[in-house]
Amino acid sequence: MEAEASDPEPPDAGEDSKSENGENAPIYCICRKPDINCFMIGCDNCNEWFHGDCIRITEKMAKAIREWYCRECREKDPKLEIRYRHKKSRERDSTERDGSEPRDEGGGRRRPAPDLDLQRRAGSGTGVGAMLARGSASPHKSSPQPLVATPSQHHQQQQQIKRSARMCGECEACRRTEDCGHCDFCRDMKKFGGPNKIRQKCRLRQCQLRARLSPVMPSESLPRPRRPLPTQQQPQPSQKLGRIREDEGAVASAAVKEPPEATATPEPLSDEDLPLDPDLYQDFCAGAFDDHGLPWMSDTEESPFLDPALRKRAVKVKHVKRREKKSEKKKEERYKRHRQKQKHKDKWKHPERTDAKDPASLPQCLGPGCVRAAQPGSKYCSDDCGMKLAANRIYEILPQRIQQWQQSPCIAEEHGKKLLERIRREQQSARTRLQEMERRFHELEAIILRAKQQAVREDEESNEGDSDDTDLQIFCVSCGHPINPRVALRHMERCYAKYESQTSFGSMYPTRIEGATRLFCDVYNPQSKTYCKRLQVLCPEHSRDPKVPADEVCGCPLVRDVFELTGEFCRLPKRQCNRHYCWEKLRRAEVDLERVRVWYKLDELFEQERNVRTAMTNRAGLLALMLHQTIQHDPLTTDLRSSADR
Amino acid sequence: MFFIFILLDRRAKILAAWFRTGHLASLQTWSFRVMTTKESGGAKAESALSSSANPSKRVSEKPNYALKFTLVGHTEAVSSVKFSPNGEWLASSSADKVIIIWGAYDGKHEKTLKGHNLEISDVAWSSDSGRLVSASDDKTLKIWDVRSGKCLKTLTGHSDYVFCCNFNPPSNLIISGSFDESMKIWEVKTGKCLKTLSAHSDPVSAVHFNCSGSLIVSGSYDGVCRIWDAASGQCLKTLVDDDNPPVSFVKFSPNGKYILIATLDNTLKLWDYSRGRCLKTYTGHKNEKYCIFASFSVTGGKWIVSGSEDNLVYIWNLQTKEIVQKLQGHTDVVISAACHPTENIIASAALGNDKTVKLWMSN
Repeated sequence: MEAEASDPEPPDAGEDSKSENGENAPIYCICRKPDINCFMIGCDNCNEWFHGDCIRITEKMAKAIREWYCRECREKDPKLEIRYRHKKSRERDSTERDGSEPRDEGGGRRRPAPDLDLQRRAGSGTGVGAMLARGSASPHKSSPQPLVATPSQHHQQQQQIKRSARMCGECEACRRTEDCGHCDFCRDMKKFGGPNKIRQKCRLRQCQLRARLSPVMPSESLPRPRRPLPTQQQPQPSQKLGRIREDEGAVASAAVKEPPEATATPEPLSDEDLPLDPDLYQDFCAGAFDDHGLPWMSDTEESPFLDPALRKRAVKVKHVKRREKKSEKKKEERYKRHRQKQKHKDKWKHPERTDAKDPASLPQCLGPGCVRAAQPGSKYCSDDCGMKLAANRIYEILPQRIQQWQQSPCIAEEHGKKLLERIRREQQSARTRLQEMERRFHELEAIILRAKQQAVREDEESNEGDSDDTDLQIFCVSCGHPINPRVALRHMERCYAKYESQTSFGSMYPTRIEGATRLFCDVYNPQSKTYCKRLQVLCPEHSRDPKVPADEVCGCPLVRDVFELTGEFCRLPKRQCNRHYCWEKLRRAEVDLERVRVWYKLDELFEQERNVRTAMTNRAGLLALMLHQTIQHDPLTTDLRSSADR
Repeated sequence: MFFIFILLDRRAKILAAWFRTGHLASLQTWSFRVMTTKESGGAKAESALSSSANPSKRVSEKPNYALKFTLVGHTEAVSSVKFSPNGEWLASSSADKVIIIWGAYDGKHEKTLKGHNLEISDVAWSSDSGRLVSASDDKTLKIWDVRSGKCLKTLTGHSDYVFCCNFNPPSNLIISGSFDESMKIWEVKTGKCLKTLSAHSDPVSAVHFNCSGSLIVSGSYDGVCRIWDAASGQCLKTLVDDDNPPVSFVKFSPNGKYILIATLDNTLKLWDYSRGRCLKTYTGHKNEKYCIFASFSVTGGKWIVSGSEDNLVYIWNLQTKEIVQKLQGHTDVVISAACHPTENIIASAALGNDKTVKLWMSN
């Protein structure tokens, strides 16, 4: 099953689990396996299904069987015999093993679905889809309501129907025992009060294969449903055509080929050529479906014309090799189906698509005041007419729709306005925060500037005051080497920068923010076509720490108890100071990060505002008003909310 | 005799009621015009009038849903309607391949979501009311962002029509049931199928998460209703009754203890999941062909609401199982009925002859 292919479980597990849940998967055949993907034949007595492989019956052999009983049933009840279809095939098969003839049933490969009338939610529209898709799926998924002319019904009738030059004895018409009494031939009969001038068999009893005329008059054919019924039409074409083929003494394999072929043609039509106009879609489906809706009608119409040709060809073909027969049959079928399709399309298509040569039958253009005929394939005679009609529609319908809309306050609109207000307020607060950030930024710069101006004092605040445990080793976080705690900070910073500079972090878009002095690194990487999105002050990849001159002072503002500034600055030379390594960089980065976050927030708010504004503008547009309508039944109630309107 | 009642409510608004009485018992003959604010006025007037044996509980014994809005816009049969969890929107999916979003309180058209190639069978909201998932005959599901109207992801993998879909309460997973007899669990963020449960031997007609998101219930045409563990995908329980008519709809109750099962023999059943027993049966409607949605109504009295094939919306009392109201107005099979999460509003949708969504309100 394709569905399970995506599953990580192997297919075996799927099958095993299926058979483990014994109650789900029905098991068949002498092998007691639930496998239904191969050819199967059913016993007409016990209704058990058997795999062709297990009882050694091939599909071809099954074609010739009309009634089949399994070995057990035949042993229990000696009266049950396997019945075959033709004298010829009987002779052929009498030499083969008993009970080795499987049946051919287009839909009979699987147990019937619970209820045939199950429709899907959207009614007949999907019914069509269901039928078309069902047809395209493997035959054993089709709905299996007992068909009019299945072999299963054949074996019910025990009597032999005589066969002659004009009666095959097998088809539905030959099996009828009573005259209908309504057709023209019956009404001509003496027993129905006719003059007995025509002297022909009842129309419905004209053999579908061998009669000289068409069994059913075109005028009496059943009206085709506009929307196809989601019932059993599917397997019939394969049945009918298959059996016709057989009666010609042709190769049985053609019948097997038919289900996929018969359904191959409508499927592309339904799935790919779907017009957007739902009306057209229905027509398409109807047209496509007419191919298979009541196919026996189509066959009976066609067969008189093709039949003699077929017969002759069939006779000739018998003497040729099998392979050629198969391909010829396929072509014939396609040709036949094509002709059927054409015919049906001509008859049942939308009236506007009829022959353009007959102007009297063309519908009138729908333009206002226009009396000309419409163009084929259109509802109007010209574009102008269409435009005029559209304009009239708008003038007529739009005002009342606008009035309907304005009758009651639009709640979504109110919500939108409130949302906009909130967003605007948040944007305001974000902007003030931004200004705050800018201020801090400037402050920091000032501090740094001041700090640089401090004089260097070597002796005081030397690091000797620190705990002098040189034997205590810290391991660097990045590289893992042991390092002296005194130089740990410096080392780890450098180490981290080294590793980090090897990776890239960027996006496709350069930063375009007005009023931001320095945020992102934005260095373009031509290989990955990205702009580096690290903070500019921190980016290890694209900015190297400047070399520290020997006399530069550290200058870090000293603090007491972590937070209180003492006003003093660190006087050690930068190179020697181990406590305040890179303090400017880090503080700048802090401030920058805050600014970046505020910009992100502003961006989000812009996005939200844009969404709300689009929604508000798109609401109650021309198309929306014309296509939809909200009918108010209770003039007092415009708002279904029970609590006070917020 | 004429009475003039002047009632003062808490907010010092004045309600004036004019009455004309025959005798106290026949309250039905009274006609009055009351200017009220909705909730307080109604209740106060009723309790003031109930000098006789007019039970003030009448409101909760039977609802009085009345048709308020008809939403016209679909060009084909509507297949499903759902209210958003925040109560603001109503989404309706249809055979014309679009989803329309309407305002839940005023019924005004808000947005149309286009993108599917074939009919849509079901639609479901995420818990934050920001996303929708739709199941379609084109064998895919689509995740939509409601605010922008865009399709965020298309989930492919099913081999036949996708029939039903639902989010889990955290809304990071989607469960879908399909005609290919399997159920799939999808991850919302990536759009990938996490698990495929070969659930049934016939099309899966309904799938639903419970309120915590740990269990999944699924129903199918093979008559079997199964409960699965969402995390592992194991089948925990199978609910089968004596007969097994095709199951057309299943749903957990809001507290997660019971399961509402609709079958195609005109029956709705309320099962106790843990004990595996049928507790209540609701009949009287017609349901033999279509998979009709049913719903629990908890905002007013405790009702079961369901559509029906005789063009009515049926409302049953959950405890007593009797039909308390039948809503008339549709001209075709009512395929879907949904209840608003906070207000006494019901939305119903009908098939091809009707193509409308109707909003009913009760007080």
